[in-house]
Amino acid sequence: MQPNDRDLDDEIRGHLALSIKERIERGDDPAAARRAALAEFGSMMRTREEMRQVWHSRSVEWIASLRRDVVVAVRSLRHARGLAFTVIVTLALGIGANAAIFSVVREVLLRPLVNRDQDRLIYIRQGAPGLNAANLTFSVPEIDDFKARVKAISAFGDFSTIEFTAVGFGEPRVVQAGVVSGSFFEVMGLRPIHGRLIDGGDDGPNAPSVAVLTHRFWSTTLNGDVSVIGKTIRLGTRTATVIGVLEPSVPYPADTEIIANVVTSPHHMSATMVTGRTHRMTELFGRLAPGATVEDARTELDAVYRAMIAEHAEAYPTSGNYQVTATLLRDQIAAPARTILLILLSAAAVVFVIACSNVANLILARTVRREGELAVRAALGASRGALRRTLLGESLVLCGAGAVLGILLARPAVAIVSSYAARFSVRAGNVTVDSSLVWVGVALAMIAAVSLAYIPRLPSAQSPSPANSSVRITAGTNRRLRMFAVTQVALTFVMLAAAGMLLTTLVSLQRAATGYNMNQVLVLDVPAALEAMGAARLARYQQIIDRTGALPGVHRVAVGNMVPWRDAGRFGPASPFSIEGYTPADGEESPRARFRIVSPGYFDTLGVPLLAGRDFNADDRIGAENVAIISHSVAQRLFPGGDALNHRMWWTDQFFGGKVLRRIVGVVADADDERVVPGPAPTIYMPFGQMPFATRMFVQTAGDPHSLIQPITRIIRDVAADQPVERAATLAEIRAQVLAPERLNAFVLSGFGGVALLIAVVGIAGVLAFSVSARTREFGVRLAIGSTPRSLLLRVLSEGLRMVAIGITAGVIGGYLLRWMAASYVGQMPMPGLVPLAGAAIVLAAAAVGAALMPAARAARVDVLNALRSE
Amino acid sequence: MAKTPEDGRLELLQGTLDMLILRTLQWGPQHGHGIGQTIAAHSDDLLKVETGSLYPALHRLEKRGWLKSEWGTSEANQRAKFYRLTAAGKAQLLREQNRWSQLVSAIGRVMNPARVDKD
Repeated sequence: MQPNDRDLDDEIRGHLALSIKERIERGDDPAAARRAALAEFGSMMRTREEMRQVWHSRSVEWIASLRRDVVVAVRSLRHARGLAFTVIVTLALGIGANAAIFSVVREVLLRPLVNRDQDRLIYIRQGAPGLNAANLTFSVPEIDDFKARVKAISAFGDFSTIEFTAVGFGEPRVVQAGVVSGSFFEVMGLRPIHGRLIDGGDDGPNAPSVAVLTHRFWSTTLNGDVSVIGKTIRLGTRTATVIGVLEPSVPYPADTEIIANVVTSPHHMSATMVTGRTHRMTELFGRLAPGATVEDARTELDAVYRAMIAEHAEAYPTSGNYQVTATLLRDQIAAPARTILLILLSAAAVVFVIACSNVANLILARTVRREGELAVRAALGASRGALRRTLLGESLVLCGAGAVLGILLARPAVAIVSSYAARFSVRAGNVTVDSSLVWVGVALAMIAAVSLAYIPRLPSAQSPSPANSSVRITAGTNRRLRMFAVTQVALTFVMLAAAGMLLTTLVSLQRAATGYNMNQVLVLDVPAALEAMGAARLARYQQIIDRTGALPGVHRVAVGNMVPWRDAGRFGPASPFSIEGYTPADGEESPRARFRIVSPGYFDTLGVPLLAGRDFNADDRIGAENVAIISHSVAQRLFPGGDALNHRMWWTDQFFGGKVLRRIVGVVADADDERVVPGPAPTIYMPFGQMPFATRMFVQTAGDPHSLIQPITRIIRDVAADQPVERAATLAEIRAQVLAPERLNAFVLSGFGGVALLIAVVGIAGVLAFSVSARTREFGVRLAIGSTPRSLLLRVLSEGLRMVAIGITAGVIGGYLLRWMAASYVGQMPMPGLVPLAGAAIVLAAAAVGAALMPAARAARVDVLNALRSE
Repeated sequence: MAKTPEDGRLELLQGTLDMLILRTLQWGPQHGHGIGQTIAAHSDDLLKVETGSLYPALHRLEKRGWLKSEWGTSEANQRAKFYRLTAAGKAQLLREQNRWSQLVSAIGRVMNPARVDKD
């Protein structure tokens, strides 16, 4: 049975009594016997400890003492509240940021997809870098070629997006639909949660129309109503049966609401779709054949593609530099978010390192102050292990508290980071906070705690203990303190420079002149279901335009087919066209221009100046002479002499039907509606009156554009009931929306930079304050021999600045090294220009002066007599 | 067993203390002080067990179940802990005794090969 302390004492006391008795019996005099027994007693204390330890295993004993040390630590930290607070908050920031970002990274980059055998599922795309088109998607003839010739891919799945007006899900509404062939779900490896999915039996022109609901649409819009399965709905011009609900999965390539079979979409059955090699609107997926690797598939796809290009040279102009690529779908989905998440993760890691080195500094300084106490304990027989344990107890308490606070901070941070990452990856939308967050926090806290406990040097029992309890700071300690502070400055500098770089980029993006009237133009999406409006479309639009124009506060009204920037990429790359009487030089590519449809008054409304000729007018209607307006860069390339007017152009792409000649009646300035920072924008505008396909409305207003949203919506509804009116915004707001990811990047990195700066300021102030308080005597002597307080103040300030200077130098070198190392993972990274670098340096230097002021003032206030008397 | 220079006592070989304690307790329950005295007496004061080794050893043996302890009153009229051999302790003593005699004879043969030859 395990003895308690009393038993042990009794046993020892019993032994001593017997020992004394025996000595007396042997003839010693009682006093001597007592002395001898007491001499023995000294060593009995150690014996007693050994007896006790017999009953404990070493680790149990160690943990028990650690628990005691933790209690002691809590007690002693209560007397150092400022330190404890600083350390805990610093660590919490570091741990919280890391835990939050790691949760998102895990969900977005590391968690497997629900798709069966995700390692065999590839995504195929073609691009024409020469035409500035990264993803051209595929046409049906191209897909047929791949299906016939590529053997490394056992099955292909195709997916294209289209809008349907759906009647049958409550109110009539426009639904985003995917159109797929029967192999799609099998290739994607997805299962239904209700009913069945589209399969091979739903292929062909005679199959009935069927539709599968995506999980999101079914559970949110239809409230998870199971009775919808088997229901018949109207999709556009056809009637389709709802056959099932898809399991929750990452919606890729597009987040649609329903997925229908090919026969449902009349467009998909048309000759343009089936035979047009350049009619590209289909995404392509593939399952690797057994034994084939992604590399095999890539090689074979490329070979087949090269052959296709040779056979149909007209569909692949050389300047396009057409390429086909294949990636694992998983990587494809993660790719856009990968870089930004890795940057965030490293920013968080940097903050953690800064936080730890700052905490190390504070703890180191505290330990140095306690050297006297530790030396006394060592002299009294505390082993080095016991001293370490004392330090570990303290750092455990601090880091544990930091971790708890950090995890509390991380929970809301996860929501922020994931809504942020959701802009880059659909997967970030469903990030959940789970226990892994806690484990990351705990692991980080443990790392911090253990390394912090091992940083300070321990006094050994052998070395002479300091004769007095005043702080004696060794050169080594001082060097270490400074090293940590310099590390913080260096890392902070890197963060600030990165944040500064993003900020300057953002500012230049926001300041760039766009060529549009930014603030007074209100834009509305009027996604009219074309078939619903029929022949009356033009008249109704005209009615809407006229009535809106009559509203008070409205200057001009126009319609068009594209909202600048918001609809970027909607019409793919520029289309080829030709000009009557213009013969391209040998080998010259046929010219290309963006195809846009606008109504009369569009240019005035958006503030795009007319350079020559006239605007479209009401007479440019179907049946009248076909006309076009070209942009400045088109005119400059084809008519350097400035005689563009009255020449005739036609679109050579078969998508536009046969050769329809259009007379050029005007030249307008270039306005880049694809990019916020404008580049050359060769564009040819068609009159709405001759091509009545425009679903965007532009209203130039005199006063506040937003006040007009209500009246305009009323007018539109009045003319066409059930007409959705969506996403009303000014051009300036649209630019802000488009730049939101950039702004968020800049904002998040600035946040990290700010936290780092705050920590570094605390670090510098801490080191200097410590150094000043340790050198009170030195300052006393200096004052006594004639230094002015002012010179002492400057001396301390310059110490602070020197640390910052070294830190910035290290930061510049380290930053370049980091960039060089990171380049292999995330590709070439932009470099901050002089402005952000200088800005970061100035901010740091100013912060350092601020941080140094308090300790410096203290140095200058040293009282000579007291300082000299203190030792 | 090296002789310590001052008092002519012998130092205990590593691992033999447990065996001596178990052997001593074969004569009946005894407290720690008594065990030390008995070992000294039986070895003509050549073996002197340090209290610093004796007490932790007693607790070690008790933890392993070879001894049992109970509280009694010593000759000095003090509360004292008496140790008693358990059945497991007796078996252990037997094992250690066997190993000890094997060790002694083996070492003896190595140290005095001539005498072994003569026998």
